[in-house]
Amino acid sequence: MHFISGWRRSAAVITAIRSLSVKRLLCSVGSEDDTIFALSSGQGRCGVAVVRVSGPASAHAVRSLTRGFPAARVASLRSITHPQTRELLDRGLVLWFPGPGSFTGEDSAEFHIHGGPAVISGVLQALGSLPGLRPAEAGEFTRRAFCAGKLDLTEVEGLGDLIHAETEAQRRQALRQMAGDLGRIYQDWRVRLKRCLAHVEAFIDFSEDELIEDGILNDVDTAVRQLQTDMENHLSDQRRGERLRSGVQVVIAGSTNAGKSSLLNMLTQRPAAIVSATAGTTRDVVEVPLDIGGYPVLLSDTAGLRDTTDSVEQEGVRRARQRVEQADLSLVVVDLTQLPSEPQLVPVFLSEHLKNILEPSSHRQQCILILNKSDLSSAEHNRSIQASLACSADVPDACFLSCHTRDGLEDLLTLVQNRLKTLCLCVEGVVTH
Amino acid sequence: MLVRRLRFPKRLSTCSTASDIHTQHYDVIVVGGGHAGTEAVAAASRVGAKTLLITQKIQTIGALSCNPSLGGVGKGHLVKEIDALDGVMGQAGDWAGIHFSILNRSKGPAVWGPRTQLDRQRYKDFIQSELLSTHNVTILEGSVQDLLMTTADPEKPGRHKVYGIRLAHGGGEIHSRSVVLTTGTFLSGTLFIGQNTSPGGRMADPPSCAGLSHTLKEVLGLKVGRLRTGTPPRIIKDTIDFSLTRIHLPDPSPTPFSFMNTHTHCKPEEQLPCYLTYTTPGVERVVKESNQHNSHIQQDTKGPRYCPSIESKVLRFPGRQHQVWLEPEGLTSDLMYPQGLSMTMPPEKQICLIKEIPGLQRAKISTPGYGVQYDFVCPTQLFPWLQVKSTQGLFLAGQINGTTGYEEAAAQGLWAGVNAGRTSLSKPPVSLSRTQSYIGVLIDDLIGRGVTEPYRMFTSRAEFRTALRPDNADLRLTLRGFEEFGCVSEQRYNEALRVQVSLNDALSALKSIHLSASRWKYKLGDVNISETKSSILNGVDMLQYKEVSFQMLASAFPELSGLYLEFSERLKAEAIYSPHCEKQRKEIERIQAEESLYLPEDIDYLTLPVSLSQEVREILDSIRPSTLGAAARLSGITPAAIVHLFNYVHRNKHRNRSKTVGVS
Repeated sequence: MHFISGWRRSAAVITAIRSLSVKRLLCSVGSEDDTIFALSSGQGRCGVAVVRVSGPASAHAVRSLTRGFPAARVASLRSITHPQTRELLDRGLVLWFPGPGSFTGEDSAEFHIHGGPAVISGVLQALGSLPGLRPAEAGEFTRRAFCAGKLDLTEVEGLGDLIHAETEAQRRQALRQMAGDLGRIYQDWRVRLKRCLAHVEAFIDFSEDELIEDGILNDVDTAVRQLQTDMENHLSDQRRGERLRSGVQVVIAGSTNAGKSSLLNMLTQRPAAIVSATAGTTRDVVEVPLDIGGYPVLLSDTAGLRDTTDSVEQEGVRRARQRVEQADLSLVVVDLTQLPSEPQLVPVFLSEHLKNILEPSSHRQQCILILNKSDLSSAEHNRSIQASLACSADVPDACFLSCHTRDGLEDLLTLVQNRLKTLCLCVEGVVTH
Repeated sequence: MLVRRLRFPKRLSTCSTASDIHTQHYDVIVVGGGHAGTEAVAAASRVGAKTLLITQKIQTIGALSCNPSLGGVGKGHLVKEIDALDGVMGQAGDWAGIHFSILNRSKGPAVWGPRTQLDRQRYKDFIQSELLSTHNVTILEGSVQDLLMTTADPEKPGRHKVYGIRLAHGGGEIHSRSVVLTTGTFLSGTLFIGQNTSPGGRMADPPSCAGLSHTLKEVLGLKVGRLRTGTPPRIIKDTIDFSLTRIHLPDPSPTPFSFMNTHTHCKPEEQLPCYLTYTTPGVERVVKESNQHNSHIQQDTKGPRYCPSIESKVLRFPGRQHQVWLEPEGLTSDLMYPQGLSMTMPPEKQICLIKEIPGLQRAKISTPGYGVQYDFVCPTQLFPWLQVKSTQGLFLAGQINGTTGYEEAAAQGLWAGVNAGRTSLSKPPVSLSRTQSYIGVLIDDLIGRGVTEPYRMFTSRAEFRTALRPDNADLRLTLRGFEEFGCVSEQRYNEALRVQVSLNDALSALKSIHLSASRWKYKLGDVNISETKSSILNGVDMLQYKEVSFQMLASAFPELSGLYLEFSERLKAEAIYSPHCEKQRKEIERIQAEESLYLPEDIDYLTLPVSLSQEVREILDSIRPSTLGAAARLSGITPAAIVHLFNYVHRNKHRNRSKTVGVS
């Protein structure tokens, strides 16, 4: 042959690995350049949720969602807005932990927000819309902490179990999702995506003369675009899919001391909200998941709407208004005894009152008027009010109720149930198209 | 200046006979003279090992048992890589090719498939004279009866150790440090034609000795499976009416496989055409009629999915037309090879079938088609350097590992040869990552996933295919082949260095040209750059446009012409893929980091005192991944399992240090 032995410069750079580096393995599982985020306070309903961000783009994330960069390691109250739509997502505490002095050793941040599913998913979606950010994998925060030398090996022992638990939780969650209509949609996407992949692979693997149909790439292109459109439509369905997952948002609103919390307690059949005779008792939003006639409902009680100088109550009022705006269905509670004594004046009064409560939102049709404390007014008076309301086109469906005697509860529940049916039908109709 | 011409085979006879061979000791013994065996012999000798090739018949060394062609999509990539590592196959193809074409030319250069029809005799001649004239190589005609086993070296992984072979028919023992088995279809091979079955590895050739199968299964305890394949009848050229077929011409200017060749042996105008015809409903009828007389088709052994017999095509996809390519067997051969008509029905039925095909109504068959079933060793039992995990010194390559195809066999042969040679010279084994080469993808797929049907290479199997192109195989492998593996000649190394420097110079020159879109339009004329594009574009950006070629740039900018013009196509490919390759770089680095973490070979996964599920333990125990990266890729292995596994390894690193095999 044309060469002779001995010419070879055998630069074998092959060495036995002396010590297997834990860090290299763990750090190599995900790319360290990514910034990750996740809900750290666990799934399920809770008062306060913590969303954690870690990685080089953490500061960018804080800047994109809030105004006024917080001081390091100090809780700062901030409005949290969506970086693209500028939609207000929540108002909550933001904490900034510059690396390397943080849990993960990287720049990181925490958003302490309200625990409602809509708020949480809003914030997670906002973070996901930022370049360089992606949802964390199971145990990834802990893994990064380990890479930064923040955990010792004993703690890493626990890491495996933690990751196991988290992947299990994710698996169960996925299973729940896969069981229903959503599962059918995702399965359909998966099949379509796989078909596209198979066609593209066949296109590159088999040459021109091997009978691959003409225009197959164009077909795949069309199919992928359609898939993209379908996914975008699914995601921008005005939270209808989420409503199906997390329940219909029903809010109880009204003036102070109209009996909103009593209504909540009656509906939940337990003292979920504190009820007292003092006006302004409920200063924050109280949320209770409920099942009404088989429909999942997230019922929230809000602070009574009034002008107040108490700063805490002011914030409660602001949140109440916001919640009314975001709700799928509002139950507006009115104190019968506060209505004008002339029945014919009641429709105009209520119309004005509703404007005040439901402003600036305009979905009046998604509202049920509850005339509370019917036991404090004569049956005859109530009948004439009812007759007067029936003639008025300006006032939504109304029903009489006494939270004290439970009179009228059945009628209210029937009314609510019918509304839920419409709302959820519309949800299912859209989701399974 | 380098000599850039075809290497012509030298006729030297250095063949040994059994009588003078026993007293000798070899570094490497290769059993089998097919595509895997010949590359293994050549590669082992290139790394400096004294190598012995044992084959049943010297005259069948380098024989093309089935189709007279080489390369194609995916397979062509392998040929380029074999050549980049100084293997024989590419040069043999350039010498024996008689119909060159680049498949997939309408698609991106990353999936182009260089391919050629071969002159069988020329191919065999080239391979034989190449091996016969190779320094350090001895060839022996004979049959291997068994492997010679001894006590394993306790310092190394493995329970057994091979120290040579015993020849059949009382031929005695020959000792060596490594043995490479490339038995092809000969391991417990059975031939099928109609209802007749007979032992054999190829028509007219007996199977390998039963002792070999027995040792692999019973002594070494290897998991062995069975696969099948087949070949079509050969047709006498003069009896074909080509006017009823469609002619298919080669590329007017043949592209050689080898990075060392600028032209092919066959002149462009000497190339022969192929012809295309189709099956008819009559073919389907004959297949159905003959089914009961066809024992091969009734077996449930898995055959090659992408090269199915006409029987399986018709039964699986009835009512369709199937392509039949009539390919020349050589410049002077009077036979044609009907690709797509592999069949195992009785010979008289084969004639009936052929006559149902346009152009073949009066055709005569010289040798009938037949099927073969053979043993393969489940490749999950191999290290990435193709050594059997349980057996020191034993390497496997080719169809014995469950692959199909000349190119797949040759690629493994080369890699087994390099490592058998290195091990015999007490050098550490080497492995190729799937991020660097199709050979790496092939081996990683085999050892990581095993096979359920004959494995064929495809571009879609390589996730980093935009970086693993046929055009850049030399840059990916030749430099490392010389510097790290020691299997590349200095001449080839210098040539690869020259190419690398030239390409880098040309790319820098291109990048240094900065013009606005309108200036580029002015310079290049009819180029569809959007006018609104206000940014400044450099020469590489421009080369990414479909209608812009390097020649166009070179004529617009004289400083680019001269030396660089010979790399026009390569520069175009570099430019097209550079943004995508950059995106994949991180992913590649991640995989390489995981692959550098080796798992000790002696882990007993079933009793490991670590929190692992039984399912995970069984997967790890059966596959026994070499690295944590390989373990992480296994289906069914959870992230938690990887952490626990890693933690265990880390804690025991001091104890395991001496037993850990590490390869960069």
